Amino acid sequence: MTITRRDVLLGATATAALVPLAARAQTSEVVIGVIYPFSGGSAQQGIDAQKAYETALEVINKDTDFDLPLAKGEGLPGLGGAKVRLVFADHQADPQKGRAEAERLITQEKVSAIIGTYQSAVAVTVSQICERYQIPFVSADNSSPSLHRRGLKYYFRASPHDEMYSAAMFDFFDALKKKGTKIDTLSLFHEDTIFGTDSGNAQAKIAGERGYKIVSDIKYRANSPSLSAEVQQLKSANADVLMPSSYTTDGILLVKTMAELGYKPNAIVAQDAGFSEKALYDAVGDKLEGVISRGTFSLDLAQKRPMVGKINEMFKARSGKDFNDLTSRQFMGLIILADAINRAKSADGEKIRDALAATDIPGEQTIMPWKRVKFDETGQNNDADPVLLQYVGGKFVTIFPPQAAIAEAIWPMK
Amino acid sequence: MTAQAIIQSLASGLLMGLLYGLIAVGLALIFGLMDVVNFAHGEFLMIAMYVSFFLFAFFAIDPLLSAPLVAAALFVFGAVVYLLIVRFAMRAKTNAGMVQIFSTFGLAIVMRGLAQFFFTPDYRSVPHSWLGGKTISVAGIFLPEPQLAGALVSILAFAGLYFFIHRTDFGRALEATREDPGAVALVGIDKNRVFALGWGLGAALVGLAGAIMASFFYIYPDVGASFALIAYVTVALGGFGSVFGAFAGGIIVGLVEATTALVLPPSLKSVGIYAVYLLVVFIRPRGLFGSM
Repeated sequence: MTITRRDVLLGATATAALVPLAARAQTSEVVIGVIYPFSGGSAQQGIDAQKAYETALEVINKDTDFDLPLAKGEGLPGLGGAKVRLVFADHQADPQKGRAEAERLITQEKVSAIIGTYQSAVAVTVSQICERYQIPFVSADNSSPSLHRRGLKYYFRASPHDEMYSAAMFDFFDALKKKGTKIDTLSLFHEDTIFGTDSGNAQAKIAGERGYKIVSDIKYRANSPSLSAEVQQLKSANADVLMPSSYTTDGILLVKTMAELGYKPNAIVAQDAGFSEKALYDAVGDKLEGVISRGTFSLDLAQKRPMVGKINEMFKARSGKDFNDLTSRQFMGLIILADAINRAKSADGEKIRDALAATDIPGEQTIMPWKRVKFDETGQNNDADPVLLQYVGGKFVTIFPPQAAIAEAIWPMK
Repeated sequence: MTAQAIIQSLASGLLMGLLYGLIAVGLALIFGLMDVVNFAHGEFLMIAMYVSFFLFAFFAIDPLLSAPLVAAALFVFGAVVYLLIVRFAMRAKTNAGMVQIFSTFGLAIVMRGLAQFFFTPDYRSVPHSWLGGKTISVAGIFLPEPQLAGALVSILAFAGLYFFIHRTDFGRALEATREDPGAVALVGIDKNRVFALGWGLGAALVGLAGAIMASFFYIYPDVGASFALIAYVTVALGGFGSVFGAFAGGIIVGLVEATTALVLPPSLKSVGIYAVYLLVVFIRPRGLFGSM
């Protein structure tokens, strides 16, 4: 038997009226579509994301003792204890495949909402399909600033976008400069899809506003067989800070090529993505002592909020990895979405949308260093404070902003 | 732009180009021998990189040392692919060309899928090889040792192949089969054995390239794709069927890529390759050294 959205809706309303509370527990389920790359070059991100979502699912569907929405008790109480079920779809990092999969999830799997997608370029098409079918799209881990500026009504993002991240980087530079560190020139190095392009544009804009000089702005072809010409240009520019926006493969090749061509920058401040990946540090971590990357997540937070450590252990048992910037946001994305469905007391797309728009979760009830989760009219959460993390002795420590920092930045990097 | 930057770009381009050449030679050899394009060429490269990686991970054999082993393994693999798949695809009575394309194309997809299933999509790399990360610096020009070793192996392998084709009986049988597969049967040469040898050789060459690359490139199931495309262009540029053309084409592609990135924005660096390719096929449709 397949359960449609209407069944869930009817079931929930009917049981609410007729059946005593206790009997409602097994009435129905709510289906959420999860779109990620599960094959192709970014498949590992999809597989890690799946583990993050399954961890969140366990928190939602089982009775756990965390101070998170829906952690206590089983399932969604607002829907008579309905369980959440996830349907995973593979977009292969291709926006057109993402579009087709979103359509399939909505029309055939009858999902109530969709969450995704790792690549921002895919989020563009998936969110458009969701808008057309009036199904909420939660952008768990996409960071392109242009995503929430398209006037979409069903688009929501709890985590920061690259302008917020970039602003945090420049706040950090400003703070260092005030203490007398020389930071005048920057090299931007970004890949040529929407993530790298948006990130590069945001950084160029803020640099201009705050009086930093960009001495080299390299937009490169993603998945290039060789980056030696690009690194050659970075080397001759020799800026005070190198700011890469790259996915994992290019990040590994960049760092290797830099070492081969004898380019050692004073400091690297990276826009996450590849630079938050374990694979990158396994490959070239020895060359990255002191690299700084932005993030929304920091395991340091476990010292203040013990549940962060416990949930990280749950994730680690599944994936063999600690939460990183991406997987932590994916985890929170599903919790926030499920909380909205619970408050909507419905599996209907429009009602869930309204509930998402009314979301107000204090930062302490997340695993992130955020102030709160509250969406503006474009669906963006502006209270998601980014952090800057520095890779020291094989792990990341939070160095900025001061209220979240547990260590002073090491500058230059080595 | 300083003279140093130009020389550095040319040097990097030449080292990369020799490697492109080595990758393309195997493709050209198989095509020249039997008019079959191996669409799984990139996946052969990927498998070679994984073999090299696992030899390092489990037995601590340096990629430079394991290169002959990997080449031998790929030789067997290439011959088996011919005997189990391509041989039958070539017998197709109707639409033979399509059947050949889809058989190797299908093989590519299967190999990628299996690699993802067994090796996981995670990115691997050989972190501490003998030459890995080491660089020779001559008058401010940096020459990474793994790429230098790769260039040297490329030249040796090409010389070896050239010697093999022109100086040995098997090589002559290879050439003869290429010229006229029907006639060689009359003088008692087993066509299937020659073709299997050709596939083995082609795979062994790309195996060498893969083993060398394992010491400076990341490894994942899709890694072959970006190199295979360049290999196809290289073969077409150098001349269909010409092994020498493929090698020269590789060097040209590497140099053009490097110089394009010097004058145009790096995101447009492949434009130069395709522009030169278009120019060549306009003026000389059979490619620079093509004989057909």
